[in-house]
This record gives sequence, C-alpha cells and structure tokens, in this order.
Amino acid sequence: MKKIISRICFIWITVQLGACSIAELTVKASMPMIEGGMVAMNRETDLQLAEAAMPANIELMEGMVINAPNNEDLRNYAAQAYYGYAYGFIEDDNPQRAAAFYRRGLNHALYNLQQSGLTQKILSGDLPHLQLKINALDDDNVPALFWAASNWAKWIDHNRDKPEAIADLPKAVMLMQRALELDETFFMAGPHIFFAVYNGSRSPMLGGNYPLSETHFDSARKINKNELLIVDLLQAEYLDRQKFDQIAFHNRLTRIINSSDSSNKDLALINKIAKRKAQKLLQKESEWF
Amino acid sequence: MVLKTNVFFIGLLLLISSSAFAEKTYTLKFASLIPADTAWMNNIKDWSNELQKKSNGRLKIKIYPGGVMGDEPDVLRKIRSRQLQGAFFTGYGIGRIYPPARVLEMPFLFQNTEESDYVRKKIMPDIERGFQAKGFELLGWPEIGFLHFFSKYPINSLEELKTRHIWLWQGDAMGEAFSQAAGVSPVPLSIMDVYTQLSASHGSIDTVYNSPFGALAMQWHTKLKYASNVPLTNGIGALVVSQRFFRSLPKDLQTLLKTTGEITAEKINVDSRRDNQKSIELLKQSGIKFLWSWSEDEKQQMINIRDQAAQTLNDAGYIPEKHFEQVRQILQQYRHNKNTNK
Repeated sequence: MKKIISRICFIWITVQLGACSIAELTVKASMPMIEGGMVAMNRETDLQLAEAAMPANIELMEGMVINAPNNEDLRNYAAQAYYGYAYGFIEDDNPQRAAAFYRRGLNHALYNLQQSGLTQKILSGDLPHLQLKINALDDDNVPALFWAASNWAKWIDHNRDKPEAIADLPKAVMLMQRALELDETFFMAGPHIFFAVYNGSRSPMLGGNYPLSETHFDSARKINKNELLIVDLLQAEYLDRQKFDQIAFHNRLTRIINSSDSSNKDLALINKIAKRKAQKLLQKESEWF
Repeated sequence: MVLKTNVFFIGLLLLISSSAFAEKTYTLKFASLIPADTAWMNNIKDWSNELQKKSNGRLKIKIYPGGVMGDEPDVLRKIRSRQLQGAFFTGYGIGRIYPPARVLEMPFLFQNTEESDYVRKKIMPDIERGFQAKGFELLGWPEIGFLHFFSKYPINSLEELKTRHIWLWQGDAMGEAFSQAAGVSPVPLSIMDVYTQLSASHGSIDTVYNSPFGALAMQWHTKLKYASNVPLTNGIGALVVSQRFFRSLPKDLQTLLKTTGEITAEKINVDSRRDNQKSIELLKQSGIKFLWSWSEDEKQQMINIRDQAAQTLNDAGYIPEKHFEQVRQILQQYRHNKNTNK
C-alpha cells in the first residue's frame, strides 16, 4: 500500500513539475513574438491603432507572467508596456489611471530586482544601505533598473501630495543613477532623459540644476542623432517652463509639430506621440507663462 | 441705404455697450517656496479654482510654486514692483513685513498646536492691522510646522551644537539673535543655496533647520543623517496680498478673497500637521536618527537663551517686549483655564 501511495505521489509530482516546465518553456518559446510585437508597436504610425492594440498586448504579457513569473525579459517588457501605454495614451487625460499603470510597471521591474537581491526589506530600509546594494547590480540589471526607476518616478510625480511618495524619490533616483553608470544609451538614452527632466523640473532651491539638465538633454540628443522628438518635448515641458523661457518653449514645440517624419522607423510611434503632446502643451502656453 | 446705415449704427452701439459692461478681470500672481503638487500647494490650487468659480471668472490666481520666483526677499521685492501681487511667506518673510508677528515663532514657547492656535486667534486682529500698516493684506495663517535641527553629524548637547556649521537664513534677525545668545556661529545663506551646499563634499554647512515635511519635500534629508528630537518652534506662515492689489478689487471680491483665504489656510494647517507627523516616521525609515532629548537643566538653559534673544530683539525694535509679554500672558491664562477645567 505504502509503495502504491509513494508511486502515485511520484507520478503526481513529476506531472506537476513537467506541467510547470512546459508552461515556462512555452512562454520562453513565445518571447520572440513578444519582442517582435514590441518592435512592430514602436514602428506603428497610426496612434489610434497603437492605442487600441496596447491593452491586448499588456493582457497577453500578464497572462504569460502568470505562467512564467520568473521570466525576467517578460517582466521587463511588461514594465515597459505599462510605462509606454500610460505615458503615451493615458496620463494627459486621466492621471490617476496612469499612476495605477505606472505602479503595475514598477512592480514588474521591482520583481526582477528582487531576484537580484534588492529585497522589499532593503528597498524600504535606510538609503545608505540601499545604495550599497544598488552598487552591486551589474549590466544584466540595466533594463529592470531603468524601468523600475522610470515607472517609480512617474508614480511619484502623480502622488506628490503624499509624503510617502516624496520619500521614495531618492530611491528611484538611485536606481536610475546606476542605470546611467552601466549603460547611458539604454532605451534611446533614457537615463540621460530621466536626469535631464529630474534636474530641469525643479528650482535650484529644491535641488534642480539647469546647466546639468541641459547637458543631459544634449547627450540624449547626440545619442539619438537628433531624431528623437521626445527630447525636445521634455525640454520645453520642464526646463523651458521652469526657466520661464516662453520663446524657447514656443519655438521648440512648434519645431516638433512641423518636423518631418524620421527615417528611423523604430522612432515612428514615440515621435508621433511627441507631436501630439507638443500640440497639447502649446495650448497651455498662456496659462504657464 | 439709410436702413443699412441704421443697422450698422445699432450694431456698433451694441458692441460698444457690451464691452463697456464687460466685467473687469483680476489676476493674482502668487509665489511660494513650497513645491508644486504637494498637499500644501494643492490647497492653493483648489483656492484658485474656488475663486475663479465664485467670482464668475473675474478673479483668478496664477501660481508660482517651488521657489521659481526666488527667495522670500526676492518675492517681496517683486510684489513691491508689481510683478507679483501675493505670496505665501514663512516667518522669515513675515519678519520683513511686520516683525512683531514673529512673536508667535518664539522658540520653546508653545507645547502643542492647541496652545499656538489659541494665542494666534487672540492676537490676530493686531497682527492684521500691523500687516495693513505695512501695505499688505493678511488672508490666512498656514503654518510650516514644528522645526527641528537636521545634521550630518550627531548632536547630543548644546556644546556639540556649537561645533556645527549651522545654516542661518541670510539676514534673519531672529536667527541671528538666537545664534548669538546660544554662542553658535551660523553660516548665513539664502535658502536657494542650502541644497547645493549640503550636497557639496566640502559644503559650508552641515546642519540646518526645517519641519520634517519640509526636509522631506526639499529632499534635504538625502544629505543628512540626524535630527533633533525636541522641536525649536512652530514655524509660522502667512498668505498675503499687497494692499494695492487688494484695494483695486471691488468690495465683493475683497470679501471673497479674505474669506476663502482664511479657510484655505485652515485646510493647509490640517494637511501640514498630518504630513509633518507622517514625515517623522518616513525620515526615520530613510535612516535619519532623531537624537537629543533634553534634561530639565538643558530645557532651562534653552529657555534662558530664548529670553536673552528676546531681549536683543526688543532692543533692536524687532519684536517689542510688549508683544512677547502679551503672548505670555494669554498663554498663561490658557494653561490656567485648562488646568482649572480638568
């Protein structure tokens, strides 16, 4: 009898393990589809189509995460997708909903960082200790560092009325600082763009540094061969506004709207989003200056 | 042809009369050091929306938060030169308008906000008159909250405090008087330079004072490791507009501005007290250690320093003795009544 029970248990465990592996293997085998989907999305020139397609892509990724929770690439793509959808299509009209998406993106990226030793306890502990742990992260962690910091900073930005959100800001900055040190070119020079906004969106009293912001914007422009319109958009939105430079604000946004399409296909969607946002920002000119 | 001319004439007349009756709009350009989108500043945003709605668009506020208009003396200058019409000032800025109001900021005077609220209400009519005499209309009194020392180094005694490079808000008569009485040599700087100096590896300061929420919101806490357990004082604040602007408003808008300003200040106080309380915990979590609980001797020593500074401020005509005395009497009466009612 005992023998029969142990055999049944053995078979059951083997089936379970096998089933788990099959699901994970299926997800792994599907990753080129996800990667291809991301490339296709970046090349999309129709904003309406992109906006309609993104939720289905996100849901697909969420389903895959259930089957393969430790698939690092998948988590990073999910974090990227939430950020892109919230920033490109949601936050201008519904900041609260966007904040919820940034939080979901953050959770995916943080999951990956936790696998690399950045546990929840360390993340909610004191800053010097967190810095030590972040310093130990390497090149492999750049996507998770970048998407965690990006989603976190955006979530904080939409929750600045809460002291607990403000208290998290140094943590997001520390993560992005490490990403910048490891790969300044990651995701269209994203770390430079982050620090350009970080230093340009605050007055010097609050730690803002306008010359440093300009340096980061210039680096981002250089790395992207002047083809990424979002760099100019953010410079107008944050630095020009902070400096009360209405002429620069107006000219920069007008240039974005009038610019011809880039030859770089991979920038098609993000440049379309920049153009649409530029039009919206121009409508705020009289209110801001 | 005559008909055409008449129609044109009537049209012209209608146009002229409609513009003559169009109501004048007023824009209050309002500056603050408080960072944008904090609960504090969201109250100002709500105030702006309320004013616009209740005045049918005749009165609106254009907000300049986070110190973009400069330090408080810069803002004051801009109000005087009509670039701005109003602002939120901390005790530092208030001291440049009507210094006796800072009697409410005398260190180690109030034990809690119930005491400061009570005394403030009693002397507010005098303070309002003082502001008016200096060309300002006081709309509300939102406080900064209890101020603590924050430092890069542990401070466990007055002797240790004396060894620190303590920031002094440049030109602050009250801070100077206290530093002198306590025997410390502070480093005068604009608040604009504090973050930079704290960030520099060989910066000129290593110790500052702020409310817990202020230290967090201005990100000073990322450069500091320690805080004092005992608060120095309850930092005051004021929502003001220039009398010139206030008087230019029709009576109904003056009333609207005053009443809504006062309510806004009260709302800010509720948020400010909650956020300061929460910030203490968040600062501790981020690694800031709160030190130095005073002994009875030290408490008395600090009160002596306060009284010595009060004398200096009286001699300088900054806060005349009578104001301090009045506040002490009201406070004494309040404590007496409270004890009697127990």
